Amino acid sequence: MPPFHLIDPTRLAVELVYTLIVVFLCFTIYYKTREIFGLTKHEGIKYFRITFLFFGLAYISRFISVLLKLMVVTFDIYFPIHIFGIFPLVFIGYFSTMAILSLTYSILWKKLHIKHTFLKHTFLLFNVIAVLISGIAFYSRSAFILTLAQAILLIFTSIIIVHYIFSNSRKISRLYILYILFFLFWIINLFALSPRRLLPFEIQTVFQVISIAVIGIIYYKVAKWT
Amino acid sequence: MMKRKRDRLEVIYDILKIIRHYNNSIKPTPLLRYSNLSSQSFSEYISELLDKGFIKEIIDEKGRKFFTLTDKGFEYLEKYKLIIGFIDEFEL
Repeated sequence: MPPFHLIDPTRLAVELVYTLIVVFLCFTIYYKTREIFGLTKHEGIKYFRITFLFFGLAYISRFISVLLKLMVVTFDIYFPIHIFGIFPLVFIGYFSTMAILSLTYSILWKKLHIKHTFLKHTFLLFNVIAVLISGIAFYSRSAFILTLAQAILLIFTSIIIVHYIFSNSRKISRLYILYILFFLFWIINLFALSPRRLLPFEIQTVFQVISIAVIGIIYYKVAKWT
Repeated sequence: MMKRKRDRLEVIYDILKIIRHYNNSIKPTPLLRYSNLSSQSFSEYISELLDKGFIKEIIDEKGRKFFTLTDKGFEYLEKYKLIIGFIDEFEL
């Protein structure tokens, strides 16, 4: 039976272009918002912009891990498992968990009425959760466990968002739907790290195109005000 | 009708706008009066604005204290609408 991940130039090109576009958009959002954050030191803006810094880093890590995986399987290269496992699971797990928590917090921080003293520890708390999730994934050496952990985190954060938004305005804005889609496409992207291809390449590419459109809309909204 | 509570960014905007309106030079007492804040909140905001470099303190030859806007303070006033637009757009 042939290996599932042979280096396919088309697949590699699609992954590279996709990563470049998403990383460019994420880092540009981070860069464009530095001025208004510098002027206001606003808690919501702070977490909004670091979301995109972390997502950019997560997408870079994801691309490197896809590349490594393709190379290892195609060329039958010996790669120490502890190094091979670190990239996909620890870095991706850490960066993306931080991004998901930061974006959720940027929406909810005002509604949660958190005391000023606790605000200082929020970042530390997110780090602990992110390290915990990436640690679990690292020790299990399983991309599936990471995907599962992030899916649970996504469901949990979505429930919190819906609960707080409904209790205040009883209206879910299009923005939250965009965020949920953004998270969802990230989880789908993690399937690419699985040892066996869970989604056909064509379907995954369609999801990647839609996810570029989602982040493109967020970028457009940012560019309007910065 | 009850007045809504101003948020932090709006209070900062109001204080800076008052200073600019008075030819970019105003004494602490009238500034306190026009800003509609308690003296404790006023002191906290002034300390924050001085720390952030939005305003600076000037003492004239007679020893009277004035507040003036810095370039950063003017920049905040210029960008305020964009800042509020951004915060509203993303519901931050």
